[in-house]
Amino acid sequence: MVASLYGVDEEQKAVWVFLEQEGGKLTGVCLELLAKGRRLADQAGWQLGGLLLGRGVAELAQVAIAHGADEVILAEHPLLELFTVDGYSRVTFEVLMQYKPSVLLLGATPNSRDVAGRLAVRLRTGLNADCTDLRLDADTGLLISEVTGFGGGILALLESPDHRPQMSTVRPGVFPRGEPDRRRQGKVVRFPVELTDDVIHTRIAERIIGEERDLTQAEVLVIGGRGIEGHFDLMQDLADLIGGEVGSTRPPVDEGQVERERMVGQTGVVCRPKVAIVCGVSGAFHFVVGIQEADTVIAINSDPEAPIFEFADYCIVGDVFEVVPALVAALRPAPEVSEVSHG
Amino acid sequence: MDQTAQESEEGVIVLDDAWWEELMAVTDGAAAPCFQCGVCTATCPWNLVRDRFGSVRHFMRQAQLGLQNGDEDLWLCTACAQCEALCPRGVPIAEVFRGLRYTAWTRRTTPAGLPSLLWSVYWNNNPWTQPPSQRSQWAKNISLPDFDPDEHEILFYVGCTSSYDRRAQKVTLALVQLFEAAGVPYGCLGDDEPCCGEPALSVGHRPYFEEVAQQAADVFGERGVTDLVTVSPHCYDTFSSEYQGAHQGFRPSHYTQFLAELVQDGRLAFESPVDLKVTFHDPCYLARRHNETEAPRCVLDAVPGVQRVEMERTRMDTLCCGGGGGQMWLETAPGERLSDLRTQEAVATGANVLATACPFCIACLEDSVKAQGIQDLVVMDVAELAALGLGD
Amino acid sequence: MAELHMVVCVKVVPKPEEIRVDPETRLLERAGARSEINPPDMNALEMALDLKDRYGGRVSLLSMGPPFFEPYLRVALAMGADHAYLLSDRDFAGADTLATTYTLAKGIQKIGQVDLILCGEESSDGATGQVPPGLAEWLDANQITLVNRLDVDVKRQLIRGRREIKGGYEVLEVRLPAVISVQTASNEPRFMDYRIKSQASMEDRVTVWAKDDLGAEDSHIGLVGSPTRVSGLAQASTHERRRQFLEGAPEDIVGQLASILHELS
Repeated sequence: MVASLYGVDEEQKAVWVFLEQEGGKLTGVCLELLAKGRRLADQAGWQLGGLLLGRGVAELAQVAIAHGADEVILAEHPLLELFTVDGYSRVTFEVLMQYKPSVLLLGATPNSRDVAGRLAVRLRTGLNADCTDLRLDADTGLLISEVTGFGGGILALLESPDHRPQMSTVRPGVFPRGEPDRRRQGKVVRFPVELTDDVIHTRIAERIIGEERDLTQAEVLVIGGRGIEGHFDLMQDLADLIGGEVGSTRPPVDEGQVERERMVGQTGVVCRPKVAIVCGVSGAFHFVVGIQEADTVIAINSDPEAPIFEFADYCIVGDVFEVVPALVAALRPAPEVSEVSHG
Repeated sequence: MDQTAQESEEGVIVLDDAWWEELMAVTDGAAAPCFQCGVCTATCPWNLVRDRFGSVRHFMRQAQLGLQNGDEDLWLCTACAQCEALCPRGVPIAEVFRGLRYTAWTRRTTPAGLPSLLWSVYWNNNPWTQPPSQRSQWAKNISLPDFDPDEHEILFYVGCTSSYDRRAQKVTLALVQLFEAAGVPYGCLGDDEPCCGEPALSVGHRPYFEEVAQQAADVFGERGVTDLVTVSPHCYDTFSSEYQGAHQGFRPSHYTQFLAELVQDGRLAFESPVDLKVTFHDPCYLARRHNETEAPRCVLDAVPGVQRVEMERTRMDTLCCGGGGGQMWLETAPGERLSDLRTQEAVATGANVLATACPFCIACLEDSVKAQGIQDLVVMDVAELAALGLGD
Repeated sequence: MAELHMVVCVKVVPKPEEIRVDPETRLLERAGARSEINPPDMNALEMALDLKDRYGGRVSLLSMGPPFFEPYLRVALAMGADHAYLLSDRDFAGADTLATTYTLAKGIQKIGQVDLILCGEESSDGATGQVPPGLAEWLDANQITLVNRLDVDVKRQLIRGRREIKGGYEVLEVRLPAVISVQTASNEPRFMDYRIKSQASMEDRVTVWAKDDLGAEDSHIGLVGSPTRVSGLAQASTHERRRQFLEGAPEDIVGQLASILHELS
């Protein structure tokens, strides 16, 4: 066995969250991890820490504290202003080697996964990806990560008994966010960052950040599949009327009919809306895992034997191009009535 | 003609022997007899729905000269054989198109989606990217006999579309009812049923098609298959025309031919009247490619109450539905759908039912009925109509 | 300067619908399940072959697995890859990502003179997506993940990769040697070239290496080299659904649906 750079006997009994920030805000998944981390820490009687890298982001440390962190290590430097895997991995590594937390949680976002993947090797430790649940055993101090495999049918429980930190990544939307408590007190510790240009190997040639669409927080989702033949305008009409967001399965995204961030499913966004209306979707398992936490699923499909009906509460066998416009017409407020339709 | 040529930008012909040889080899010299009379261009049904169509004669010329210009119209051919039926030289025109398509494969200029089509056949044994382990799910509510050459009169070869497509499965189940009513001992290969390879052939990948066909022929040989009955005329055409190396005694037929025999032999009779006015659409792959126009009509005429009427273009003049020649895997623009014309022809006969005997025809025709909002016309397979005639 | 040498990491996985859990032992039943090349790896392979078309050079395949992986590697050779390296040893089995990336890195080092390593975004069986950055770390190489378009400046030994992120995209530039992961379904993998397919079955196209060939340390490979342990397996519980079909004429159904939505709001 290869030993991790620090072991169980040196660990600080704390749960840490890697706080990813973008455009002056903490990413949503970090807030979810802080909420979950807080519960884990309370169960075990441990501290909850946050690790925040960037430049000019000090006020975000207070946001993390409001969301449950006891302590935030703040590492700021001009070369950390924009995310690079080189700079962020280096500094995170140095902070970890100084503080040696037992658990490190990261969001399963493109950038955090990059850092997690490199650090796990640098630290010679284990990394559990895309966890659907986490538990901390107070007696053993072991993090038990639950992951699904093989299209979602199998659950595996993973542990890393001898290696530290115990690292896990979690997809956005898996855990709920808490409400911030601005009266919460916590410590902010500035970490002295030493970074030079030669550490940064990535040049950002171009960067266009549009409006971020976060389907994970949508309470109502209207999802179109292959069966709607690209008519996302119809989905949008319905979504607008009921205060929802529009999502998609994989095929329309691959066809370029809709943006990738609208893709719901195992490799897309995992949502937990109150209502999901699923139109023209056959219901392959890798899509269904994206909405299985929805309170209510309504499915419309012209095939009475479509697999989606196994995963729906209300099933309508019909032509989406008849049902959805009719539904839109039925929901549209009549001109003389002042009542407003909300979803 | 043994010149090979490629037009350079200045219009100067540049010789390319290698390409010409490739084309001659892969089509077995198919284009050679053409003397450019142009009858093919005049008869091609695409003229009915398109203003501009790279003419058939032009493609034959390209093939003879070894010219290549990446013409998209190459992918329009539905292999309906209308041109072949009238060609005075008997040029196997569809074969030339397939050969030209193969050169697109070697140059990697095929339309998008076609490489994925072949991968689907390769990894999943079907062109629809459906799981191989679900091939016999269509039979989940019945008991499907595993083919045994000593017990079974025929191998019932279902085919990929008729196994996986929900609409087509209804036809498959109707056929099972008919075999049972006639007391025909039949068996199936279940999940081991090999794809016939037609998807690969129709899009021009002859080498891969030959690999698939060999694998299928080996399975049939090992299982001792002799009489084989298909649902789709495409599978039937492929087994009949292309399985040259198949073992002795391999006798494929289309189900309409088998049912017609059963009717003629008195093994299949229909008790229940089916009072419908029916017009039959001849699938190209049965009518023109195999001269089979009477078997389906014989079956329909045996069902009491069925009143048959013919459309304007009937039997050997059948108007292609647009589904052959790989079109099921290519996009056809709305407004250019041959099946739109065909369904209107059906409406003009006053029939309630447009009957046919091919899963691709059914898909195209039903699509056109829906898209044009045609009321009072239902598309049905001959097997479904016949099954109605069995009564309960 | 020397030609561009690319290595594509390829994994053979069970087709997702073929996996069954034995209801009694609760173990995964892999035996007899049909396999395929991990679909995202096909996208990585297509990108590498496209780079070879554009810039010249050669494409090698690298895979860690049992001998039955070999015919699948030959499929990739028939697509146009030049050589396949299969790392096969019983002691490699049971590896988590740390041990897997270590082993693959040893393979890359033994192959030698590798400029660019391409991986699929993730695998359909494990789906961790951790191999690309982990591999880059062992090799002390640069990385760009989730790339859907790549350009190479062979002379300056640079690559530029476009990746989609957060409602937009970025184009990153790093020096070679580098590891990239290719966004799933970002291209259409070419079919096999039947003019070269028969050559793909020649013996000298595939090299098999065991742990001693790589100089791999026992402590770093397989189950022994894996910090992560599986402490339990369970059937995923599903949220039981009502499965209530709405009946009636179309207008009735729409009416019912509208009421349901009003109630839920």
